[in-house]
Amino acid sequence: MARVKLVLRLLVLAFFALFLHYVLPQHDIVKVTSTEVIRTDFSSFNRIFFAQSDSGAVSPDTRDLRLINTQKQSTYLLGFIKRDTSRVMVYRNEDTGWIWPPYFKFNSADLQAVAANLARGDEWVVVTHYGWRNRWLSTYPNAVKMRTIAGPDVTIIPWFNIGFFIFLLIAMLFVRAMWRQFWERAVDPVLDSAGHRMDEAQAGIAERRSRLSRWFGRK
Amino acid sequence: MAFIKLVIFGFIALTVIYWSIAIYSRSVRRERLENEFDAENPGSTDRAARDAYIAQGMRDYNSSIRPRLIGLVYVVPMLAIAIITYLINMN
Repeated sequence: MARVKLVLRLLVLAFFALFLHYVLPQHDIVKVTSTEVIRTDFSSFNRIFFAQSDSGAVSPDTRDLRLINTQKQSTYLLGFIKRDTSRVMVYRNEDTGWIWPPYFKFNSADLQAVAANLARGDEWVVVTHYGWRNRWLSTYPNAVKMRTIAGPDVTIIPWFNIGFFIFLLIAMLFVRAMWRQFWERAVDPVLDSAGHRMDEAQAGIAERRSRLSRWFGRK
Repeated sequence: MAFIKLVIFGFIALTVIYWSIAIYSRSVRRERLENEFDAENPGSTDRAARDAYIAQGMRDYNSSIRPRLIGLVYVVPMLAIAIITYLINMN
């Protein structure tokens, strides 16, 4: 039973970690090669990996999708080993609007113009994005912001993610404190008095039983 | 529309958080008042005095700035949304 519990806990933790890995912003160092628009019909499998139409428009089942094609500098292998290789990476460029995830991005047309401009030159660019590229499901990470840099060897400090995890830790400790306070002040007293009443009832039954047995014994 | 949906559900979520924190803060304050009274009057059996002390303490708490600060639960996320929207969409 303990092992089942452990596995369930690890599954929940893994799901939560994957969720955060999908939703939190990440940075890639790329060269933009081209931009394009393709018409897309979403399936029920990959629909959740896309946002919706531009935030002022309605969202039909089939629509155009802005893509940004890039050559991406490989990241450090396991975070330590430097690699001087590059590979292609394709980003989608969609409004998240007021809907999930909360990036409040409305400027995908502007960002596409920036990308088209960058594709003419040979500049290094940092792309802030969230999401996953999955060839099998045809999903793309959503580019949120692009900014030019001097060279591919910049150090990027993920300030937002640092702040987010500090906030998450504080929020979790706070919820734990609230839960304990609630349990201590509201639930335990009720359980105690219920237990007390139960004890009294059981004592009453025992008393009556002993009276009964005494009566039978006397007979 | 998505914006109205965000406002309605955001308001509901923030109201739940607001009341949770308000009740928690009150509960912590009441516990502290109880402990203070018990520390100052060890072995006291005067329930009326204890209740009066706690009631007075809770009145002081209600008129202090602390419960109003919990209203920041509504303000901070709105500010965060405004800042994120600006930072993401400015060119």
